Amino acid sequence: MKLDLIFTGVGGQGIVVLSDIVCEAAILDGFDVAKAEIHGMAQRGGSIIAHTKISENIQTPLIETGKADIIIGFEILETTRTIHMLKPNGTVIVNTKYIPPNNQQKNLQQKTPQQLLDIIKTKTPTVHEINGTAIATQLGNNLIINTTLLGALSALPKMPIKQESFKQAMANKLKEKYLKINLQSFELGRQNVLKPKTI
Amino acid sequence: MSKITINKPDSFVLYNGDEAVARGAVEADIKVAAAYPGTPSTEILETLSKAAKTLGFYAEWSVNEIISTTVAAGAAMTGARAIVSMKHVGLNVASDAIMTLAYTGIEGGLVIVVCDDPKLHSSQNEQDTRYFAVHSKLPLLDAGNPQEALNMTREAFNISEQLKLPIILRLTTRVAHGKAKVQIGQLQKLYRNIAFDKNGSRWVMIPSNAIRQHKILEEKIVQAKQIAENSQFNQIEDNNADIGIIGSGVGYYYARSVLDTSKFSWLKLGFVHPFPSNLVKIFATKVKQIIVIEELRPYIEENLQRLKLDVTGKTQLELGEIGEYTPDSVREAFAKLNLTKTNPPTAIIKDLPSRPPNLCPGCTHRAFYYALNSTYQHIECDNNKCIKCGTCAQTCALEKEKTTDKNKSRIKIHNKTTTITVCKACINPTCTTSCPQNALTKSTQTGTIHVDENKCIGCKTCLQNCPHNAINIDTDKNKAIICDTCQGNPQCVKKCPKHALTLVGRSNDKIVTGDIGCYSLGVLPPLNTMQTCLCMGGGISQAAGMIHAGVKDKIFTVLGDSTFFHAGISALLNISYNKANICVIILDNRITAMTGHQPTPASGKTAMGENAKIVNIHEITKSVGIDKIITVDPYNIKDTINAIQKTLTYNEPCVIISQRPCPLLLTQHNPPREITNKCGNCGVCTTNFGCPAITQTQNNKTEIDQTLCNGCGVCETICPHQAITRRKQQQ
Repeated sequence: MKLDLIFTGVGGQGIVVLSDIVCEAAILDGFDVAKAEIHGMAQRGGSIIAHTKISENIQTPLIETGKADIIIGFEILETTRTIHMLKPNGTVIVNTKYIPPNNQQKNLQQKTPQQLLDIIKTKTPTVHEINGTAIATQLGNNLIINTTLLGALSALPKMPIKQESFKQAMANKLKEKYLKINLQSFELGRQNVLKPKTI
Repeated sequence: MSKITINKPDSFVLYNGDEAVARGAVEADIKVAAAYPGTPSTEILETLSKAAKTLGFYAEWSVNEIISTTVAAGAAMTGARAIVSMKHVGLNVASDAIMTLAYTGIEGGLVIVVCDDPKLHSSQNEQDTRYFAVHSKLPLLDAGNPQEALNMTREAFNISEQLKLPIILRLTTRVAHGKAKVQIGQLQKLYRNIAFDKNGSRWVMIPSNAIRQHKILEEKIVQAKQIAENSQFNQIEDNNADIGIIGSGVGYYYARSVLDTSKFSWLKLGFVHPFPSNLVKIFATKVKQIIVIEELRPYIEENLQRLKLDVTGKTQLELGEIGEYTPDSVREAFAKLNLTKTNPPTAIIKDLPSRPPNLCPGCTHRAFYYALNSTYQHIECDNNKCIKCGTCAQTCALEKEKTTDKNKSRIKIHNKTTTITVCKACINPTCTTSCPQNALTKSTQTGTIHVDENKCIGCKTCLQNCPHNAINIDTDKNKAIICDTCQGNPQCVKKCPKHALTLVGRSNDKIVTGDIGCYSLGVLPPLNTMQTCLCMGGGISQAAGMIHAGVKDKIFTVLGDSTFFHAGISALLNISYNKANICVIILDNRITAMTGHQPTPASGKTAMGENAKIVNIHEITKSVGIDKIITVDPYNIKDTINAIQKTLTYNEPCVIISQRPCPLLLTQHNPPREITNKCGNCGVCTTNFGCPAITQTQNNKTEIDQTLCNGCGVCETICPHQAITRRKQQQ
């Protein structure tokens, strides 16, 4: 069993917390895990990428280019930026929200969110789109997108980590008063993969 | 609950390298831990400080690395176990103490953890601490993953006590911030009698004692080499192969991840100084070719060359000394030697806008930098928006000359070229130098050009010399008239129907030196404020050097409260006594923000969460001899600009204390701001101020992201068109 995951998005979106939860869940199920991310400068609204490996006997958390099984994207531009990490026909779970980069790079023809999504879809047919903004509005909280993505991840076919382990890791990692809403968000994420038409 | 207090030996926990070091330290029963924050080492003391009360030891955030080192050394001199952690550049600050600590030695175990930062993820250089071990003669363990970090920390205390020497434990960013499943050991209790040997001449490094201790150090090094030769951290995996690979740190594991491990023999080096040369020689007899894999400098490679062993190293692998290795780069290197396959090429999507780190929404530093950039302001016209309607000229004539004759405006409309010109307050104006009557002067405070009407004879020499054709002549008075920005409150900007006019400053019209903290991000666009970043507290003395060399500009220097306590106070004292006329700006946000909010002596809390008396920065500044001190609230842009302009008139060193807590410390925020329909997209809040919560959309609208905005309200005060308001509370 080998599962190489890339979590990517914008600093402050809860990327590091989510990759921690996935690792904790994997440990509960007896797997070896390793992850790598960079703190400090990168947290200040910059691009974030967290490599996460779930396997046996891991040598390094860093995933080679073109070897990731799944990319979990919190934001569409950052997901596009890391799409070269995906293995052929790998899976992408992406929050379709677009956060415009702050610096004014006027020499670049900025791509629309739809154009970015189209680029992602040329790389793999398996793209699970999550409308994070709609789910946040439905639940009345902007900060639950990471558990929606977690729900989607947990519902992928052949996911070796048990759903219950994900929930247990959430309970261990999240503040108690936010657990209920995050479990709802997790469920919506699951449904997004299991019955995409209904969301 | 702290992650490192778990009392279930042999169980598995998810730790990063820093947390693993902390766990190793508590398993070794430390009594004292000290550090100054520095990425990627910060989480070591952060983790320890949360466990300190529960496990009964002392932890502190010291004001700098030499203080933390000597605190830990003092503890270790009494027989207690102590740990000090720092980033690689912090080691330079601590080195004065460490170089001689090697002579005095210690009683209780002392572990000096140093985190190197290959690829400078958040540092100012890529120094390799293994060479500091050579320099100081101290033993060094080099961890390659969190499990090693834990095991090495725990064992380092034993080695330290065996040798009576401090031990350096080296991590790199990928180890410190990489997380892995780590098997923990037992929390032990030593119950030691803690006492200081008052008769020990080894503590007093006067020459006669020091020369004796130097000899002892040499003897300890011989002993240390023996320990290294037999260390559990130096392991041969003999696979009866022709090629042997020697490596340390993450590079070793990258090699294992890209190669078929069974087809090579392996030597993992973890105890790398003193160099285990006998072990390496034994390994060399088992293989025909040796490949060395190590990040940064060729430490192992040079040692092999010294042993006259042939080595395939950085040159042959084409892996340099710059930056960090990755599994990709290591695979490529071995593929070139036909030892593994390359990965199929995958195209990186190009032409995507980058997303560099940025000051946060509501950042107090951004507000101050905006004010600093606005010290000298002038009016700019966006000719793509301007419709040459003449409203600005009419407004100007009415405001300044009380007439409706728009020819008496300080803004000139050129009908032939349909452009608008207005004084740009040049850094080196030609109008003032060319005036035969010396009637024109540039204000030292605002940078605008002042016309002395008693001297001006209306000769138009200034007009002819103005490179921007931005001077007008009042034909009735026969005097030059030049824009003075209405003292920073220009009416033309407000009245322009297309919002084409903006009042702007420049970042390149004054020298601003700086150093290290969140505020270093002020070097990036759109602020572009800071011009130097060398070392902690360095900006003050660099500015002094410039002044003494003869630079004529007014020089500002910025540093944060944590940096001020770290290395700024002595630098401030130095410019005060030696009279360097610079303006020191202390950006006091009450916290060490960059590394994740560790308390400073301005915070009122210690590392262990106890209340402490807040050290008064104003009083320190006063007591080192500074008389001109102004305290401002950076959110009040107007007052801040006034304060900065006031300092321009001083002929002595002065200090501005910009005081407001980091907004990330606040639990309650004001309601977010929103853009009203008065907005004409003039760009002041986006292009000049650059708050990440405010963006210009693809269809040229300005928007505030309601989830990012934290309601600081600074954009509201700088908007010239009152187009930003508090969001109405939803009913």
